[in-house]
Amino acid sequence: MKRKKKNQGITALKSRYGRMFTLPWLIGMIIFFIIPLFEAVRFSFSEVTIVPGGIEKKFIGFANYKEILFSNPDYTDIVSSAITAFLYQLPIILLLSMVLAILLNQKFLGRTFFRALYFLPVIIASGPVLSLLFFSSSSDLSNLGASESISTSLISVDEIVADLGISGGAASYITTMISRIFDLIWNCGIQIVLFLAGLQSIPSTLYEASRVEGATKWEEFWFITFPMLSEVTVLVGVFTMVQLITNDRSRIITLLYNNINSAVYDTTSAMAWFYFLVSGGIMAFILFCYSYFAGKRWKA
Amino acid sequence: MNIIQKLQSSNSPRRLASRKYTRSKFGDIMMFLLLALGGLFSMLPLIYAVCTSFKPLDELLIFPPTFFVKRPTIGNYKVLPDLMASLKVPISRYIFNSLMVSVVSTVIYIVVAAMAAYVIAKATFPGRKTIFWIIQFALMFNAYTLAVPQYLINSKLHLIDTYWIYILPHMASTLGVFLMKQYIDGYIPDALLEAAKIDGASHYRIFWQIVMPIVRPAWLTLTLFSFRDTWSAVPNGTVFSEEIKTLPQIVNQITAGGLARSGSAMAVTVIMMIPPILVYLISQSNVLEAMSSSGIKE
Repeated sequence: MKRKKKNQGITALKSRYGRMFTLPWLIGMIIFFIIPLFEAVRFSFSEVTIVPGGIEKKFIGFANYKEILFSNPDYTDIVSSAITAFLYQLPIILLLSMVLAILLNQKFLGRTFFRALYFLPVIIASGPVLSLLFFSSSSDLSNLGASESISTSLISVDEIVADLGISGGAASYITTMISRIFDLIWNCGIQIVLFLAGLQSIPSTLYEASRVEGATKWEEFWFITFPMLSEVTVLVGVFTMVQLITNDRSRIITLLYNNINSAVYDTTSAMAWFYFLVSGGIMAFILFCYSYFAGKRWKA
Repeated sequence: MNIIQKLQSSNSPRRLASRKYTRSKFGDIMMFLLLALGGLFSMLPLIYAVCTSFKPLDELLIFPPTFFVKRPTIGNYKVLPDLMASLKVPISRYIFNSLMVSVVSTVIYIVVAAMAAYVIAKATFPGRKTIFWIIQFALMFNAYTLAVPQYLINSKLHLIDTYWIYILPHMASTLGVFLMKQYIDGYIPDALLEAAKIDGASHYRIFWQIVMPIVRPAWLTLTLFSFRDTWSAVPNGTVFSEEIKTLPQIVNQITAGGLARSGSAMAVTVIMMIPPILVYLISQSNVLEAMSSSGIKE
């Protein structure tokens, strides 16, 4: 409240400059994001045909949505598998990156090197070429992605699992988990950095006081580290959710991409919007639960 | 003297108790091993790419594929000039295009995002809240969702098949504004701006001489992200002339050569990774700092 008042003091002067400074970005935003956004909504409610020199739209109501949900054999499967993957990867990524961040926050030789190591995937694992090479999921030999190649050549996961006497559903679950480990660790780079930053913002006096009182490390974690990280955890959570939803390598995004390349615009827009609504709804639900139980609002 | 000794001795059990829970040598080693293992996992694909780029053809054909190279050869790299020679335009042109496009669009992106973020963080004007909501909403969109309408707009603005197609759409990116805004909120007190104002600094001067130096970690981080994205971007169906194609498009052409070319494709990929890693090494120390303030603010 206080800040708001203060803000108005200096900034009443600035409001007209304000618009000027935001202008370049705002124009870019309107042209390349907001207009296409509304176009995409209109596409999803129309039949789009390509005519020479452009496209033609004919309003057909919810027909596209009906088609993708009830007539398309793959779509609902792919969406539900994407949502399941999203729901189980989120806690794993959060936990993994929190643990790694806590470890990387200790003092030891080569700490900077390790931090750089974990951040490296963020830098190199971008771009269509790399993801094509590393994460191709086709069984075509020439396209075997590196993650599969590595797991088949270095660690023969299947055999190990079979040797341990695990079979059936559990075995396939473990196998997929291990082969996903690259995807998981490669998804943790930014999260680790955010958690590290959160850890460093916890005042060391808290730990000193608790040590004087004789708290164990375990108690220190649950009563100081974990609560103090809650805000960062929400931010990391939101970040991870966005990252998982928009992941280029997921099957749903690949489907959208292939459809667009084969010039199916109307149903693809409907698919994209339906997926966006479902995943956005789940995200909103998770954030609502957080604010309901923690009594805090997610503010950005 | 006696009292002090007594105090110390009464304290000591407690001291011991707390010491019991601090890390042991064994714990240290375990922690180090765990980190090394995770680090190795995150490095594996990189090592694999480097190894594969040195594999001779017969090793590339082995199934299941081997991880390490047995008889390393630089043949895959040696072939590259020949592969390049078959291109219509000399390779230097592609390198120039890639560098030009990445640098120009990164610079424009940073300046535009910083200006917008500065105002959204510090000024009050109608629609400020709305703009920030749009930013958060836009963060959730995958590029493909809007690909077709964006293509139509690009063609209406006659951006197709020009350098602008690489640069202008990048302007609408929201991550930059989001990150910068959080950083400015956290690090630039209003009092500082007021002081500059009273001393008679113009808005441009405040922006360039006060705001930008303070938020340096934020824009160095963004430079890294932006460079990474533009460097590896492949514009789908929007660039046709060879003269304005960039390096990733050549990589695609080489990869399209199938299994026999996969060694060379890896070689090109390894070469392509070098510039973003260099940019990272330059901006490295600032990245952690900038990411930190994006989350923690009151």
